[in-house]
Amino acid sequence: MSGITIFRNTCKGVEDCGICIYVCPKDVFEPSEEMNELGYVPPSVAREDECTVCLNCMISCPDMAIVVEKEAVKEKK
Amino acid sequence: MSVTEHPLRKYTRPHVKKTTTCPGCGNGIIAQAILRSIEELGLSMDDFVFVSGIGCSAWIPSPLFAADTLHTTHGRPVAFATGVKLGRPESHVMVASGDGDLTAIGGNHLIHAARRNIDLTVVLVNNGIYGMTGGQTAPTTPRGLTTITSPYGSMEHALNISEMITAAGAPYVARWTTYHPRQLTRSIKKGIRKKGFALIEAVSQCPVQYGRVSKIGKAVDILKFFKKNSIRIDKASRMSEEALEGKIIIGEFADKEKVELSSQWLELSKQMMQEEGESCHVKS
Amino acid sequence: MSKNDDSRLPPGTHFMMGNFALAEGAVAAGCKFVSGYPITPASEIVNRLSVLLPPLGGGFLQTEDEISAVCSAIGASWTGVKSMTATSGPGISLMQENIGFAVATETPLVIVDVQRLGPSTGVPSAGLAGDVVQVARGSHGDYQIIALAPGSPQDMYDMTIRAFNLAETYRVPVFVMPDAFIAHMREQVVIPDQSDIHLVSRKITAQGTDPMTRQDFHDPNVAPMPVFGRGFKSHVTSSCHDEHGMRNLSDPTTMHNYIMKPIEKIISHRDDIIEVDEDYQNGDMILVAYGSVARSVKEAAIRAREGGLKVGTLRLKTLWPFADKEIEAAARAASGMVVLENNTGQMFPYIKAEAAAYCKVNFMGPKILGQIHDPEDILSFLKEINA
Repeated sequence: MSGITIFRNTCKGVEDCGICIYVCPKDVFEPSEEMNELGYVPPSVAREDECTVCLNCMISCPDMAIVVEKEAVKEKK
Repeated sequence: MSVTEHPLRKYTRPHVKKTTTCPGCGNGIIAQAILRSIEELGLSMDDFVFVSGIGCSAWIPSPLFAADTLHTTHGRPVAFATGVKLGRPESHVMVASGDGDLTAIGGNHLIHAARRNIDLTVVLVNNGIYGMTGGQTAPTTPRGLTTITSPYGSMEHALNISEMITAAGAPYVARWTTYHPRQLTRSIKKGIRKKGFALIEAVSQCPVQYGRVSKIGKAVDILKFFKKNSIRIDKASRMSEEALEGKIIIGEFADKEKVELSSQWLELSKQMMQEEGESCHVKS
Repeated sequence: MSKNDDSRLPPGTHFMMGNFALAEGAVAAGCKFVSGYPITPASEIVNRLSVLLPPLGGGFLQTEDEISAVCSAIGASWTGVKSMTATSGPGISLMQENIGFAVATETPLVIVDVQRLGPSTGVPSAGLAGDVVQVARGSHGDYQIIALAPGSPQDMYDMTIRAFNLAETYRVPVFVMPDAFIAHMREQVVIPDQSDIHLVSRKITAQGTDPMTRQDFHDPNVAPMPVFGRGFKSHVTSSCHDEHGMRNLSDPTTMHNYIMKPIEKIISHRDDIIEVDEDYQNGDMILVAYGSVARSVKEAAIRAREGGLKVGTLRLKTLWPFADKEIEAAARAASGMVVLENNTGQMFPYIKAEAAAYCKVNFMGPKILGQIHDPEDILSFLKEINA
């Protein structure tokens, strides 16, 4: 299980938002392959090993659609 | 262990599942900064009354926040909030609204609230445009930009809100952008703790209206613009006016102590009631 | 009594200015927050209350303009405090948008309008009943408010207490509408013992209720008010909202109720709200008046009867909600009706619409607008129309 949770149906997509991708210093995210129920393309976690738990994505997401759990990410490393 | 909800969701109304903001709008970043500041201060949502006006940013607290929220007429949240604070001085009263609402139609109330130093925390979201009504020129729109009401280019100069409110005497004034959410949170906490008028100007992206007229681009492009053009106030004070053209000065403009209005009223009442020997309340 | 004396007047008989009597009435009613902006001929009210309130644990805010005055009074009311603002016609004009806010959010509020001669800046110290329609129709949309018309300094005291009671009972703005003459005249005012004054405070929401299911608005029998600062998580908005206070711009029934329920709240209780003084018999020429003109009318009726004319009077003590039944009853009994106002006929069209099916309705303004009717002029008018 990921230490990074994306609430896909809350997200407004990488095309017009994508702030998480921009503020991530470690290139953890990629656009996901499928749209959500509203037609937005949420990000997906592509490189969780790179995550330093800086929490930039979680803090900067305008829709509170990303949660990063410190312990769960650290456990995976 | 799977996460079922964002940790700040406990401060939001359960039935408000989604915000109505455009993709990439800065309002949500500021909403988070406010909720985080309340959590980090160890305060409860019930310690607050949130007051907002009309405009996209006024939707930050209403209906999202699970607290007493007062969604007022255009330009007037500061006036309503002043009454709330004087009616119930023990509440933390926070105004969250936009630049058009608070400095155009609401400018007079903002200036006088700062001048009389009523204990309010005002989070002013400055996106440089009237977003909700389709992209009209705001007092903060840079001169020269073509908007839906300045089709030949805006001929007016933009307002420097933080400087104006500092001049009005506010004891705490800070400006950050949505590229600086941690600093925003710190300043909002300081504003809440400050016994007096606090203004936190949050320069924010409006990708749909401002992004279009400024031709800067989408949300991320505007954030890149904020990152590139933000200059800290101490550094800016050593730069020339030309060098500061088009720049966003960030940091704290004022941080001082100054005797506050509602506490003076409480003190006066206490004193006079002791002198008169009367009971607190008129018998009803 | 010095105007800087910070004590309320003791029970007993006093001789005082209307505006001062109003201030004493507000304090007797339990008002704890007053906001205001200086404006002739209302300034004495806020001047006096700025002195009276602090020893009673209340507060006064002199705002930067009248818009801020009404907004801050509404804000204070939402914290559970009995609140008031006082102004004149130009201030009411500025306040209109937020008067609508108070109506739509069912906020208890007393607004004093000491009417002066308009339009525009006009004559600040001359009385004119210039706002009697403005207070009921001046904000956009369809709504009902309550408006009381004092005709003496004693009325200024008594009706202000009544205004607070009505505001608290019905969660609505209540206007107290003297003109400049009533505000500045000096007359006897009897102040009763505080224990003899009946006061009403708003019903407040019960603790532990769910904001999504409890009814905070739209109850014609008045929903308890979810005041701020008690953990009710109230949602108060100027937008169209449902009975829980949540914004709803898509459901037609909600839109209809948003308008109609607050109106029903007032109209369904009109028998409790409306007050008139009836002094007429069948076949009388009935003189309908309110405020300062009712004083002239009273004198004119005395002289008319002494002269053998069958003349009666109907004094409107409440202007709104409109006293339709009382007007109809008078019209049915009357041989004719004259509406006397110190304006060019503001209540007249409403009264005529109600009464004309039953008798002829005339209008009489003062000879000179801004001065109240001379009783002799009223008698001449009655002769002219063959009363």
